[in-house]
Amino acid sequence: MADEGKTLRTAARERRAPRLTLAMREAMEAWLFISPTVAGFLVFFAGPLVAVVLYSLTEWNLLTQQMTYVGLANYRDALFDNPDFWHVARNSAIFAVGLVPFNMALALALALGLSGRFRGVIFFRTVFFAPVVTSAAAWAIVWKFLLQGESGFVNQILATVGIAGPNWLRDPNWAMFAVIFTRVIKMVGLNMILYIAALQAIPRDYEEAARLEGASGWQVFRWITWPLLGPTTLVIMVITTIGSFKVFDHIYLMTGGGPENGTLVLAFYIYEQGFKFFNVGYASALAILMFAIVMALTVVQLLVRRRDT
Amino acid sequence: MKALKQLLAATCVAAAIALPAAAAELRFTIWTGNEAHLQMLNGFANSFKATHPDVTVKFETIPPDSYTQKLTIQLAGGNAPDAGWLMEDAAPTFANAGVLEDLAPTLNAAKDYDFADFSKPALGLWTAGAKVFGVPFSTSPFVIFFNKDMFDKAGLEDPLALAAKGQWNMAKFQDVARRLTAANGKFGFEFKDGQGYDSRIMHALMPPIRAYGGDVWANRQCGFDTPQAVAAVKQLHDMVYKDKSIVPPGEKGDYFSGNAAMTINQISRASLMPKAGFNWGIAPLPAGPAGESPVIGQAGIVVFAAGKQKKLAAEFVAHMTNKTNVAIAAQFFPPARNSVLSGAGFLDSNKLIPAAQMKVVADAIAKGKVLPSHDKSPQIVAAMKPRVDALWRADANVENALKAVCTAIRPLL
Repeated sequence: MADEGKTLRTAARERRAPRLTLAMREAMEAWLFISPTVAGFLVFFAGPLVAVVLYSLTEWNLLTQQMTYVGLANYRDALFDNPDFWHVARNSAIFAVGLVPFNMALALALALGLSGRFRGVIFFRTVFFAPVVTSAAAWAIVWKFLLQGESGFVNQILATVGIAGPNWLRDPNWAMFAVIFTRVIKMVGLNMILYIAALQAIPRDYEEAARLEGASGWQVFRWITWPLLGPTTLVIMVITTIGSFKVFDHIYLMTGGGPENGTLVLAFYIYEQGFKFFNVGYASALAILMFAIVMALTVVQLLVRRRDT
Repeated sequence: MKALKQLLAATCVAAAIALPAAAAELRFTIWTGNEAHLQMLNGFANSFKATHPDVTVKFETIPPDSYTQKLTIQLAGGNAPDAGWLMEDAAPTFANAGVLEDLAPTLNAAKDYDFADFSKPALGLWTAGAKVFGVPFSTSPFVIFFNKDMFDKAGLEDPLALAAKGQWNMAKFQDVARRLTAANGKFGFEFKDGQGYDSRIMHALMPPIRAYGGDVWANRQCGFDTPQAVAAVKQLHDMVYKDKSIVPPGEKGDYFSGNAAMTINQISRASLMPKAGFNWGIAPLPAGPAGESPVIGQAGIVVFAAGKQKKLAAEFVAHMTNKTNVAIAAQFFPPARNSVLSGAGFLDSNKLIPAAQMKVVADAIAKGKVLPSHDKSPQIVAAMKPRVDALWRADANVENALKAVCTAIRPLL
């Protein structure tokens, strides 16, 4: 192989003696072709990422433009000195623990119901997918309106069956539930589509074979469908978990982190620190911590999956 | 090569056309999008051409909720506007950070400007020694806007009539709010812009606390847990949860669309009233055990030190705030110039508000106190917010909730 390459290069040199070998030229062309993407990646993705790490080691007041190097003080402050961080991290965890299973179970149930071929199936899939493409602001405004205290639509419906509904977004015991619920029905359509695609990719033969062996519907699902959905379930779990830790717009629009900081989640807290108090260094450190948490969770999920298979 | 020559020629022509148009343009940030306000501001820009024919002014509206934040980002991002409005709660932060230009030299040099004409108390936030970091353009007291039709339907005397008889006090306020709610099936009172539980916490709590003789903070001491403040907030709490006469948290009851009988706001909101479709009026804030204690919200005009045309911007500020223009602006933004305030023109300046009611505004400016400011205002308000949330529960212990507010903000004061 190596000899062949040598003869090829020698032959080429005899003809024109180019300064660059073919391989080098090809490599250069390839680099030229991908250079716009690489430049974009470096400037808009890698650059800011490195910058956030550097900012997190400083105390930077945006207004006065004073930046001082403080080492790991921002991290120490968040992890040990400032009780807010743990409160906020707890809220984010509650949000994720509430949202991820609820979202996935609902998505799977919808997908099982809507993966067949029957009249109106496209219509129902559209109905459940529509909220995904609805603007977050419009969604939040409508739900804020529906979830008002006594005069809210939801509570008036509840009142007709004799239930006195709470002031959903103002009651610290209910606000988190309300934001999780409205978030799930907004985003569940996306996971539903992923599950439908996965279900349709499962060969019918397996189910037919199992049916011939006398397996019940539940047994088919438990021992054939569910295991074959495994890779999809993992992907959905990872992206939904990451999404739930990153949730910002929904909280900003529905509750602003209240009441009594009950829905103050990590991403919103970072926004407050960075853009309301202009503690850019501290906000950057928090962003790195959030990155670490999400990364750790993703790795754990992958490891658990690998162990199971 | 020919193409290159053509391109070069085209560039030269374009540059030649563009050059005269490049004469100075000032960028000026504001938080109003109201047409009448913009028309007036553009009028100031036009009259500025008399002395500066080449200068145009571009007014840029940033929504009030995010105004200070977006302005800060523009300053930090090297995209500083030349001049702009600034809210009172941001004034100390900006002045301390050194991002505001000292206007004193320009104002003192401006012809017939008469800086001494500005009321001294009104300048408190905007000056430090001989330095002038901003010129207040709006020294606007909070007043009660009332829906006259709803008062008539309930068979009640309106707040203006009650005030004339010296009967417009906090007890009466609670009483009429309750009666209005019963008679009209709509809320008796709405906090400023319906935001009293969110972004307007201070505007909701401050007026009654001052009427009872308290203060939210002063001289780095927290005032929320004083007996006066507790009594004032207890009354509001009763009105929300016992009388159900104030729009409660999480509900909508907009005064300007006829869904609440009274609200608290400033006269710049009068521009919304012609479209409201009901008879209305303005009245002073109800007096309390401490007598009358009007509360004033202020905003100033500043020039940013990072701007590229500081001198020109300062000259425009001097033009906007000269006697003539302050008198024109007085219809929306009550002035801090004594000569305009005491002149006959002020009471007739607003086409929507009769002179007798403009007198309410003039009196309040004379007697009122500005809302409290602090260079850590954003942090203080954020620290207060969760504790104030706890206050607005039906079963809240008002006194304990207010003590918690003080515990939260004391380290920041």
